[in-house]
Amino acid sequence: MVRVQEPELTDGQLIARVAQGDRPAFEELYRRYARAVLGLALRRLGDRGRAEDAAQEAFVAIWRSARTYDPARGRGAPWLYAVARNAITDGLRRTPEPAAELADGPGGDPDPADRAESSWTAWQVHRALEVLPEHERPVIELAYWRGLSQSEISERLGIPLGTVKTRTRSALARLADALEEELE
Amino acid sequence: MSGRPPDFDELVGTDLAPPERDRLQRVHDLLVAAGPPPELPSELDEPPRPGTVHALPARRLRLVALAAALGVLVFAVGYLAGGGPDYETFDSVAMSGAGTAEDASATIEVFDADAAGNWPMEIRVTGLTPPASGKPYEVWLTRDGELAALCGSFLAEPDGTTVVPMNAPYRLRDFDGWVVVEEGSTTVLLTT
Repeated sequence: MVRVQEPELTDGQLIARVAQGDRPAFEELYRRYARAVLGLALRRLGDRGRAEDAAQEAFVAIWRSARTYDPARGRGAPWLYAVARNAITDGLRRTPEPAAELADGPGGDPDPADRAESSWTAWQVHRALEVLPEHERPVIELAYWRGLSQSEISERLGIPLGTVKTRTRSALARLADALEEELE
Repeated sequence: MSGRPPDFDELVGTDLAPPERDRLQRVHDLLVAAGPPPELPSELDEPPRPGTVHALPARRLRLVALAAALGVLVFAVGYLAGGGPDYETFDSVAMSGAGTAEDASATIEVFDADAAGNWPMEIRVTGLTPPASGKPYEVWLTRDGELAALCGSFLAEPDGTTVVPMNAPYRLRDFDGWVVVEEGSTTVLLTT
């Protein structure tokens, strides 16, 4: 995939470029948000195949709607979230098979406000993960989603325990920077 | 996904200044709350080209109809096993040794998709000791005899018996087999 040469561009700046038909800007947005969009679709639809289709449709909607983005009204991330969510919901209406709408946590069936909050949090966290360098992301994924201890991660990745600890702390700090607004 | 969130103190130690510790603790809480992001299947490696996705609804309808009738897991593994429309009993895949690993064998168990839509699996290998190079082994899905999608890598135990959890973010029916190779090599050591 071609990547734009200006990694410092904000999401909003990328959307503005997409509005002008800039394909590399669109590809950079895709790199940043593909997993977040797919995750959102999976939460809504539950079925992997439908979610993959919905994620593609969401990005088509982003491409087509980019001209409606107004940076004066907010950052790019919430706009992308809204467009993606609407596209996924539209797809759900066209093919109204039962939606899974997976429970967001223990106890299941949270109220709509909690569910929306949870989806937005997941969206931001999954987006933030894309800022991690390739050597830091595995230590986070193995610790949080595979349940491995630091020693087990060291063994799995074949790197010293001290390196695992350094990378973990660095990755968490990097995520904190990326999630600054969420943490305020 | 493991049901056990990691221990925050183990992750960051106890020597951080309180403000930074609080900041990382909030990130920790968000990661636990968000859960794992899904891995992208190879079909989503590239963004769509608007105007070329009109065929999707038909494909989606076909998938949904099949999934509703048969169940996604049975559907996927049934195709993987080459059983055509007979989807009933396949929940593990046997692998046998080849070439220099002729005496090795393995079993891959595929479990229900997790909340992120990935397919957790566990590979149990016997008779495969660490290679002289010290490199890890890799588990691949194959298509038409070619390595097509990487499922994960593992370091073999010295006694040749290794059990490793993995995750496949792919549509398994798109592939026709599994192999294990040494990292950076295409020489098959275990195959279905």
